Amino acid sequence: MRVKRERWNPLALLCLLSFLVTACGELNVPSGIVYCSEGNPETFNPQLITSGTTIDATSNQLYNRLIDYNDDSSDYTPALATDWKVSDDGLQYHFTLRQGVQFQYNDLFSPSRNFNADDVIFSFGRIIDVNHSYHLVSRTGYPFFQSIDFANLVTNIEKVNDYEIVFHLAHKDASFLSNLATDFAVILSAEYAMQQLAAGTPENVDYFAIGTGPFYLSEYVKNEYIRFKRNPYYWGDEAKIDMLVFDITRKSEARLAKIITKDCQVSALPKANELTVIKKHKHLEVRTKPGLNVAFWAFNTQKPPLDDARVRHALAHAVDKQNILDVVYHDTAIAASGMLPPASWAYSETEDVNHYDPEEAKRLLKEAGVTNLSFDIWAMPVVRIYNPNAQKTAELIQSDLANIGVTVNIVSYDWSVFTQKLISSDYDSVLIGWNADNTDPDNFFTPLLSCSALESNNNRSRWCSNELDSVLAQAKETLSKPERKALYQQAEKIIHEQVPLVNIAHAQKLLLKNTDINITNVNPYGGMSFSDVELIKEEVQP
Amino acid sequence: MWRYFVRRINLFFVTSIVMISVIFFATGMFPVEKGYALSGIQFPTVEQQAQTVEDYNLEDNQLNQFIAYVTQRLSGNLGISVNSQQSVADELSAVLPASFELSLFAGCIAVFFGVPLGVIASLSASKTIQRSILAITLTGYSIPVFWLGLTLALWFGVHLEWLPISGQINLLYEIEPVTGFMLIDTLLSERPYAISAFKDALLHIILPAVTLAVLPFTVVIRITRQAMMTVMTQTYIRAAEARGLNTFRILIRHALPNALIPVLKAFGLMLGSFASYGILVEVIFSWPGVGLWLINGIYQRDYTVIQAGILSVSLLIIFLSIMIDLVHTTINPINRKELYAN
Repeated sequence: MRVKRERWNPLALLCLLSFLVTACGELNVPSGIVYCSEGNPETFNPQLITSGTTIDATSNQLYNRLIDYNDDSSDYTPALATDWKVSDDGLQYHFTLRQGVQFQYNDLFSPSRNFNADDVIFSFGRIIDVNHSYHLVSRTGYPFFQSIDFANLVTNIEKVNDYEIVFHLAHKDASFLSNLATDFAVILSAEYAMQQLAAGTPENVDYFAIGTGPFYLSEYVKNEYIRFKRNPYYWGDEAKIDMLVFDITRKSEARLAKIITKDCQVSALPKANELTVIKKHKHLEVRTKPGLNVAFWAFNTQKPPLDDARVRHALAHAVDKQNILDVVYHDTAIAASGMLPPASWAYSETEDVNHYDPEEAKRLLKEAGVTNLSFDIWAMPVVRIYNPNAQKTAELIQSDLANIGVTVNIVSYDWSVFTQKLISSDYDSVLIGWNADNTDPDNFFTPLLSCSALESNNNRSRWCSNELDSVLAQAKETLSKPERKALYQQAEKIIHEQVPLVNIAHAQKLLLKNTDINITNVNPYGGMSFSDVELIKEEVQP
Repeated sequence: MWRYFVRRINLFFVTSIVMISVIFFATGMFPVEKGYALSGIQFPTVEQQAQTVEDYNLEDNQLNQFIAYVTQRLSGNLGISVNSQQSVADELSAVLPASFELSLFAGCIAVFFGVPLGVIASLSASKTIQRSILAITLTGYSIPVFWLGLTLALWFGVHLEWLPISGQINLLYEIEPVTGFMLIDTLLSERPYAISAFKDALLHIILPAVTLAVLPFTVVIRITRQAMMTVMTQTYIRAAEARGLNTFRILIRHALPNALIPVLKAFGLMLGSFASYGILVEVIFSWPGVGLWLINGIYQRDYTVIQAGILSVSLLIIFLSIMIDLVHTTINPINRKELYAN
């Protein structure tokens, strides 16, 4: 008996070995795409935030807007609204809504009716009406809408019938349609909201999202992944992939490793210095497009001595932007002279007034009577499209400022803590930036530097100028493009004079992907969209 | 025997209470309001605030607060995660099995390869074999695990593209957690790709498990070798040889069981460093276990997660060391004799 057992042992081992060998063979992987994203979304409702990470994970995947913006034709295209008309005085926007659009369902909710005017009224009503039962469900407010003063712009949303709706504006606003086409202006389900409100759990609406988009939210595990599945009842062209997984990988090196080992097929925000590594791998490629974004260094203008424009001028003159472009961006960006990037239609080439000039900086500091200046720079802990490495940028600025005798401490927190602490405004200066949500030039000014942006805590400079606000208001009411362009140049000039922030760079939009993924369009603005991303079946090589 | 058992159990409780009190006082020093650090609710409503104060006895003295804290934590109320607003206990129970899976797999690798190598090292007449095995163990013992992990990942993952270096499984496989052990869950799954998923999970565990196995592997070799050398000089082995039993049988039946007792003890002593190595390995290979969860919690200032992570890891170490101690005593005839003599 025992002899037999001893003979079995090597056999068993052989079995195990052969099993391990087969384990290396072809795997039957379900069809889908894994996207290495850079962080946890804060919520699943893009109305509530401005962070690009959350936008990527929600807006274009789960939801639709009333209208979309087509970058190629530079025009608006129908989405949940099939048609729209603007009244002659520019104060009424009449939308005809799409019929037969079904909302998604989940464990908490299955829709009993199709999308209609009530959903539009709910989605925008919760933002503009402070007495709305959902208004205060958002603890973070509605930062984008607050920054463009949406609540005071829209006086009333009138329901004509189930599929027709009119927005009544308080004043003319040339950027209104652009703002409705942004990633933030999504349409939620009113029925779901009312059901959850009755159940006493209204916050579920923003977490277990229900939208009309090409994918529905299947599962979210914090720090690990978000799983989306194709929405089979999608009203538009169905998504080409069955499943979309966001693999949450905070470290850029880890994302690179994952795409090399094919754990991901698409990866967010590669660092510029990783491009040389990427070139060595044949199955990887980088898509680039000039981006509508700007990286800047914002001063907290409410804190002395940064409330003195001369000090801010001095600091602006002390920064060597070209050095930052070389070291941080590796030539994947251009130096910014103003807020607007060259990709914007309102851009016009101007000389950088606050160019690199350490001597001038020293002189201005002396003039302002500031000596032994020391303050903090907050550097974002995450890679954003406009700045692939804020830490490094902060270090370069630190050494530039050391040359003019200014001491700088670099401060950083984890992203979610960082954004929360920014709101409490207890900082001296911060390295951050802005990725446009739409192509309207207003998007670079009003959400960032207006007085209403200050109220919504999106104004990182904590700076409010009536002069700038009046120029911006005028530009919004003007419908002619050349006139608007002139007004935005005027706005740039005011910012140059007051230096609430130092513009650093406009980065290219980079997307790292496997060659067997077909991505037809990369938007220069806003978040990722996976609805027309295709998986090309690997062809057999001869 | 029972007296010994009771004494060990006492030790477990006392150590745990000391451990919890350290965490309790550390929690009091978090730079936030105490109710927030304990419950994880950052903006409590009036009812939630009242509930927190009542649960943790916040208006009472420190001792009563501590008693309330222990009661809450031991009854499973670990608060909610600051970051995800989900129950910390749920999150913990989702990440613990992944850590167990990795440690068990690594432990098995260490024993399956370490014990035979240790035996060979002890029996081999050839000095070269002995020395090279010892050299390997010494090298393995002194290599820092973070360096080893990164090197393996770079070589086998990035350069050769043989093995995945991150996570537990390709995320396109959708596996419902039953046991929490990915290798078992993939086999239990009823999806058409279950076998593929199992293979994928197996490929994913190789690199982290090998990295984590290096420390126990080297320790097992050294201890086994030493113990075997001692055992083989004992008179009962010579008696067995005299009876004409073959060497293999003597090894397996008579020598090895006795030699493995010190190996067990070494495992008990190694638990602390094994756990910290485990945390490092989880971070390097993004293994979704309790270590990665804890480190992420620390980065995100997730106070409730930090407490729960430290509490669970340290309680586990205390519990397992005492268990190993007990098992060691139970199966070790020498200890048994001493106990009976008592």
